[in-house]
Amino acid sequence: MNDERRCYIGLHLLDRQLVDRDGRPAGNVDDVELSDEDAPTVTAILCGPAAYGPRFGGRLGHWIRAIHRRLVRDEPVRIPWAYVARIESSIALTAPRRDLGTTALDDWVNEHFIGRIPGAQHASE
Amino acid sequence: VKKLFGVTLGVLSAIGGFVDIGDLVANSATGARFGMKLAWVVVVGVIGIILFAEMSGRVATLSGRPVFDLVRERLGPRAGALNLIGSLGVTFLTLTAELAGIALAIELITSVNYLLWIPACALVVWLIVWRVKFDVLENVFGIGGLALLAFSVAVWKFGPDWGSLIHDATHPHVPGGEGAPTYFYWAIALFGAAMTPYEVFFFSSGAVEEKWTKSDLFLNRANVYLGFPLGGVLSLSIMAIATLVLQPLDVDVGSLSQVGGPVALELGKLGLGILLLGFIAAVGGASVETAMSVGYAVSQFFGWSWGKLVKPAAAPLFHTIVLFAILAGAAFALTTLDPIKITEYSIVFSAVALPLTYFPILVIANDPDYVGNKTNSWFTNFLGSIYLVITVVAAVAAIPLMLVTKAGS
Repeated sequence: MNDERRCYIGLHLLDRQLVDRDGRPAGNVDDVELSDEDAPTVTAILCGPAAYGPRFGGRLGHWIRAIHRRLVRDEPVRIPWAYVARIESSIALTAPRRDLGTTALDDWVNEHFIGRIPGAQHASE
Repeated sequence: VKKLFGVTLGVLSAIGGFVDIGDLVANSATGARFGMKLAWVVVVGVIGIILFAEMSGRVATLSGRPVFDLVRERLGPRAGALNLIGSLGVTFLTLTAELAGIALAIELITSVNYLLWIPACALVVWLIVWRVKFDVLENVFGIGGLALLAFSVAVWKFGPDWGSLIHDATHPHVPGGEGAPTYFYWAIALFGAAMTPYEVFFFSSGAVEEKWTKSDLFLNRANVYLGFPLGGVLSLSIMAIATLVLQPLDVDVGSLSQVGGPVALELGKLGLGILLLGFIAAVGGASVETAMSVGYAVSQFFGWSWGKLVKPAAAPLFHTIVLFAILAGAAFALTTLDPIKITEYSIVFSAVALPLTYFPILVIANDPDYVGNKTNSWFTNFLGSIYLVITVVAAVAAIPLMLVTKAGS
């Protein structure tokens, strides 16, 4: 993003694609964490249903969060702001995706299902 | 040669996306019923899909962000999720119809009931998504689908009174004996078939899969400007041959054999054989496209990795969704629900989903964060805004017209 322009949380951060150090998709910005100061700053990016649910709002949003809490945990995945390298059409991060914690579902599905189907380890020929 | 093959994404999007089961049925049914009096809708639809496919391809090429990324980005979690559910519903219905469509085409060749072919078709479609490289599937389906030009050859061989065909097409009116609601219901069905949202999901994701960069922007344009008009010519040919052969016989198109029948009359067995090949390629291509589009949409909405550039193990959620979509589509097709009816409903519902898909594309195509200095020209924005109004009108009118006309009957 152009540095001379302001960065709006709603316009330039929320719902943007996260991309890890190696350029691989690593989730979406579901919410942000602000510091508790008079002039708040963004301290972290929050990901996962625990962040998405409240932003979705209403009864359905509440359910999304409640189901996630019973299945996994209540807190969203937290990516410290220090990991953010650039804000472009996506948010580039300095860490590899396995260190972010946003890919738990990905990993689970891979380990228990997709990874077991023959050919899963080979790129298309 | 590489440049020649470079336009196959557009050809596949046009053959397998534009001319899919929806267009085969809608164009044939409207030709048999209204003659060329709805041809203008095909032209309006082609211009619309050119406009928005070009924008989505440009955004994807310059930013690497395909359409459903933009949908979430601009519409936010709530409206974005609404669009996701709507688009998934429509694309899933279309996938079901395409799977049944391949099976119906094979039934025409083998005389073995289509229901028996559905599991095999589903398996092949899944194997293609699982194993076949993106550019191979583009080339095979795109070029195979060109066999549908048999429709155009059949029109030419029929030797129609061109004057009256063109007069009909350029002087649209509600024909006697038909109510205005029925006429406009079918207009919306044709429009929905032409602008089905999955075409831009697939085209923009394809641009990323093909690793297009700034220097490939001409490929984007070449694809769009060649591919979709080709689809338009095919659509009009289907409508014309139905007008010439089926309308005098007062046929109410309700099966794939009626869509292809006129070609068999004009071109004989060989022509029919080529046409069936084209059917299978176009509908098969569309099955792969719709199945992948379901995966693209969900993965891009949630920010997961997706696509065929990486091994399946690196995009496990994408492949899980595609696999279950194909399984569910095959199961739904096996319920013996009439595939032609499923097709008709899917294209009308797709008209309902259009505004929420095309609005974010129009906004982002003007955002320098995404496209740098390649933002829309005032003319593109002018046309795009007109089309947004058209899609909103079509979306609002679709369901009431469906109820009033009892789905166009």
